[in-house]
Amino acid sequence: MNVTTNTAAQRLTFWEKLYLPEIVKGLVSTLKTMAKPSMTRRYPEERWEPLGSYRGRPVLVQEESGERCVACGLCSRVCPALAIEVRAAETMERDKERYPDLFEINMLRCIYCGFCEEVCPEEAIVMSKDYDIVFHSQEAAIFGKDQLLTPVARLQERLEFLRQYK
Amino acid sequence: MPVITIDGVKIEAQPGKTIIEACLENGITIPHFCWHPSLSVAGNCRMCLVNVGSQKKSPEGTLEVDGEGNPVIMWMPKLQIACATPISDGMFVSTKDDKTLTAQNSVMEFILINHPLDCPICDEAGQCKLQEYAYKFSKGESRFDDIKNHKDKRVAWGPQVMFDGERCISCSRCIRFATEIANQPVLSFVQRGDHVTIETFEGTQFDSPYSMNVIDICPVGALTSIDFRFKARVWDMSFNDSVCPGCSRGCNIKVGVRDNEILRLEPRANPIVNKYWMCDAGRTTQYKWVNANRVSGSYIRSDKGLVLADADTAYTAIAKAIKQYKSDEVMIVVGGMLSNEDVYTVKKLASEVIHTNRLVVVERTDTGFADSFLRTADRNANSHGIASLGITSIKPNEIADYISKNHIKALLVLGDEIIRGDEAILSAVKSLSFFALATFNECQSTEIANVIIGSATYAESEGTYTNITDRVQHFTPAIVTKENMRIMGMKMSRLDKFGAQNDRWTQGDKRDCKQHWRIAQGIAEALGTNFGYKNSESVFDDIVKHVTGYNHMSYDALDSHLGLTLNHAQHPESLGVIYESHTLKPN
Amino acid sequence: MDSIAQTIDAVLYWLAQPNILNILVLSVAKGGLVLNIILVIAAFLVWLERKVSAWMQYRDGPNRVGPFGLLQPLADVLKLYTKEDISPKNADKFFHRLAPVISIAIAISILCVVIPATYIYVGPEKLKFYFSVAPNVNVGMLVILALTSIGVFGVTLAGWSSNNKYSLMGGLRSSAQMISYELSMGLALIGVLMIAGSLDMNNIITSQANGKWNIFFQPLGFIIFLVASFAETNRAPFDLPEAEPELVGGYHTEYSGMKFGLFYLAEYANMATSSAVLTTLFLGGYDAPFAKELLGLQDGTLLMVLVQFGTFFAKVFALLFFFIWVRWTLPRFRYDQLMNLGWKVMLPLSLANILVTGGVMLLLKQFGIL
Repeated sequence: MNVTTNTAAQRLTFWEKLYLPEIVKGLVSTLKTMAKPSMTRRYPEERWEPLGSYRGRPVLVQEESGERCVACGLCSRVCPALAIEVRAAETMERDKERYPDLFEINMLRCIYCGFCEEVCPEEAIVMSKDYDIVFHSQEAAIFGKDQLLTPVARLQERLEFLRQYK
Repeated sequence: MPVITIDGVKIEAQPGKTIIEACLENGITIPHFCWHPSLSVAGNCRMCLVNVGSQKKSPEGTLEVDGEGNPVIMWMPKLQIACATPISDGMFVSTKDDKTLTAQNSVMEFILINHPLDCPICDEAGQCKLQEYAYKFSKGESRFDDIKNHKDKRVAWGPQVMFDGERCISCSRCIRFATEIANQPVLSFVQRGDHVTIETFEGTQFDSPYSMNVIDICPVGALTSIDFRFKARVWDMSFNDSVCPGCSRGCNIKVGVRDNEILRLEPRANPIVNKYWMCDAGRTTQYKWVNANRVSGSYIRSDKGLVLADADTAYTAIAKAIKQYKSDEVMIVVGGMLSNEDVYTVKKLASEVIHTNRLVVVERTDTGFADSFLRTADRNANSHGIASLGITSIKPNEIADYISKNHIKALLVLGDEIIRGDEAILSAVKSLSFFALATFNECQSTEIANVIIGSATYAESEGTYTNITDRVQHFTPAIVTKENMRIMGMKMSRLDKFGAQNDRWTQGDKRDCKQHWRIAQGIAEALGTNFGYKNSESVFDDIVKHVTGYNHMSYDALDSHLGLTLNHAQHPESLGVIYESHTLKPN
Repeated sequence: MDSIAQTIDAVLYWLAQPNILNILVLSVAKGGLVLNIILVIAAFLVWLERKVSAWMQYRDGPNRVGPFGLLQPLADVLKLYTKEDISPKNADKFFHRLAPVISIAIAISILCVVIPATYIYVGPEKLKFYFSVAPNVNVGMLVILALTSIGVFGVTLAGWSSNNKYSLMGGLRSSAQMISYELSMGLALIGVLMIAGSLDMNNIITSQANGKWNIFFQPLGFIIFLVASFAETNRAPFDLPEAEPELVGGYHTEYSGMKFGLFYLAEYANMATSSAVLTTLFLGGYDAPFAKELLGLQDGTLLMVLVQFGTFFAKVFALLFFFIWVRWTLPRFRYDQLMNLGWKVMLPLSLANILVTGGVMLLLKQFGIL
């Protein structure tokens, strides 16, 4: 059974039902807002510096001895958008046996969920502060190791944030 | 037969069986690491400890029951290992009580003390028995907070097997395999206690032709394939059922594919053909030629050299050429790697359309390859199948004579390279007026053939092989070609399944190569006869209808019985229990 | 200085001659002028709309192109011109092309009877030089009503010829809405016409002279006419024909490039036209009550005309601002609400308005006040 009594329309007072006073109230409200200062940030000139908790584009941590990544592929496995492709290769030079021969993130697929960072056993992939990511072609949207490797010094804030909440 | 009660379920088994075997036959799996149905019992992992007891007897000799009618069980004071305890009538086994669960957890804790837990970089991760049991039977806590023992890592035991001492849990499966199956007893435990590790005897290496099977039976990632190491994570690959084309044994295999490229072959258990094993040669060679040096598309040779054409144009060119000759001037050679479906259609083309009886297969015998276990001298994977379809075979050195003696003018070769550096055959082929070729790889023949059509290998086609014991076995495609793209679908590997145009991993080669029966059907159609086959199954159904020996077979029956023997399809052999040492998690 | 003034005077004098050639030249010149003015106003309105909406939402609005983003409309038009001109495969190509032209043409042609200022005397014979394109049309109000009725064709044709269900629905809604509101609009007018006693725009304005604006005598009529104007111009809160959530873009879903630009322009031109008509009918047109008494200006002088122009445009812009203001304040009506309002509220009210107006006028006549 449809209950049609005491609907939102029936609860209105006479003046509200008349509608016009309410319209005037709305008009006054917008007019007042016009006088208030704007919140616009003039973006390319004024840039916003995110906090450590910000999830920007995922990057690979690079230390002096090379990348931390051991190409375990867990980020690729956990990625809900299938954005990451990893191919491992063997190395005899360093104490860890494997390294990523190919590490590509398709930034058109990436949804910045941070699962890759969460699953990484080596703290090798972290979310950076980069948020303005542009490219001119679909091919250019696939970031390889050269674009992903970031010196550890630039990711200190994020790494500290991660340790704090681990 | 003795009847035992396991966790309240009564099961029956042959006398002399151990508890673990009796359980396996009845679909109950007791956790274990070192036990393997094909190997002797070692009993050194202690994972299969179970509570064993018998019903209490009263002084008068009757079996005692409690107030509610349940039997009163006298448990043995200590747990027993299920892999080495034979069953006896009236035995009670418990795998779910606290005592057993505590034992399992303790064993896991012991094993994991010195295990490096480097799953992220371990090739076994994803199909690891230890990983699986750590979830199922361990509480995941360790009281051990010392430094783990360090042992030798990356020790090559032989040309194919790499050993990592730290990951090893000393189950001795590899030692027993080397001794009992591979007949190369070169492996042994050395050191004692938690320093125990496995080494080859001085001056020896583990280079048996079956050495790589230890990689499969190793319950952890201690043994890895030098050929495969780190190429891909197991969950990134698709594994489709196939049959090894390396020799006429027809070992059942799984084909591991990622990015439309075969990365490894591994044996698929078939108690009748290859049990759990396959040879190293099959594993390391039978995928490489599928990945590289392939012919893709159809080509017609003209004055300007080879010109890419579509398949129909190539069929028409072949048909036009064949029509110019008398029917017995046309010779057709089928390769030993062609499936029954391919050969049957080619035979139909020869006998019903071209009307030639000059249809042969070239014998490929390599006595050096044979051994007493799996490898056979006959390197033609389907030689018995081809013979069963009534095709004569000739030796390689007879080809040149055959061509000249019979005044052959046109030669059609499907799925074989007949020249193989032989000068006599080369000159014989060069003397022909028309030479058409359907082949997998670039070879000497592709340099001189008039028409070349890229054809599908075993890994790209669906069909059946009849092996050396006349067992007909079904294989399915594993990699995607332009022909089978639509049926592959969810059989592709994880990333391939969901790839889009802008994903680089989908940019891999999708070759334009057709199954041989389709090529034969195309030529027949160009000559004016339509066979009307839609897929491999429809060809096989036709074989079943028209060729004696194949009666009562179908792809479904072949799949469910892991192959059927010619003339005995109605009475399939009992397969027994098919044991899977460790399984891949569904992805 | 004097020579320039004399030259202009001479030119205007020549144009004001009542010869067929002079009238023709004059009409074309005025038409061209009006066209340019309306385009500039429309461009300015686009900018104003975006600025006002931004301010009402704590934003800055366009601020990159030119000072305060004033050249933004120019950039927009440039973009529209360079865009690919697509017409759908199954569209009726001829009508698809014709529809935006009808829309914009009607919106602009209404302005020919609008009177922004009276006249100046030119030449020795003190000929009257009128500032409206078609001065002294004795059925001016009827022309406006007739043209707005044609305006609906543009929208309906666009919706039908696109051969797209969203466009068709948008077109149908639009025509239904325009026809419904035209009734109340026309009836709301009657009050004004009764007071003025004429359909001539000149007479309507002069009847309101010296601050006796119709808005004070016909407040209900004004409100009804205002609301109907919103509906006629398809502006929020009555922008149902282009209701994005349900109809994608409504009748102009399938339009792109400058064809879309013409519709866009027509919307703003319609706004300007409606404001001009509203000003004429209810706000006294160019009437500045203080001009004669306080400044002592005489009819026919240049200064007077300038004051009239200023007054007229100030009123028009106030109304235009009101249009924009309402759009960024009120949410869109539901279709049934729109029809309810049109038929069940506005129509009876406008009929009542006529009755009351007539009654009061009779009473006043009875007592000899009128």
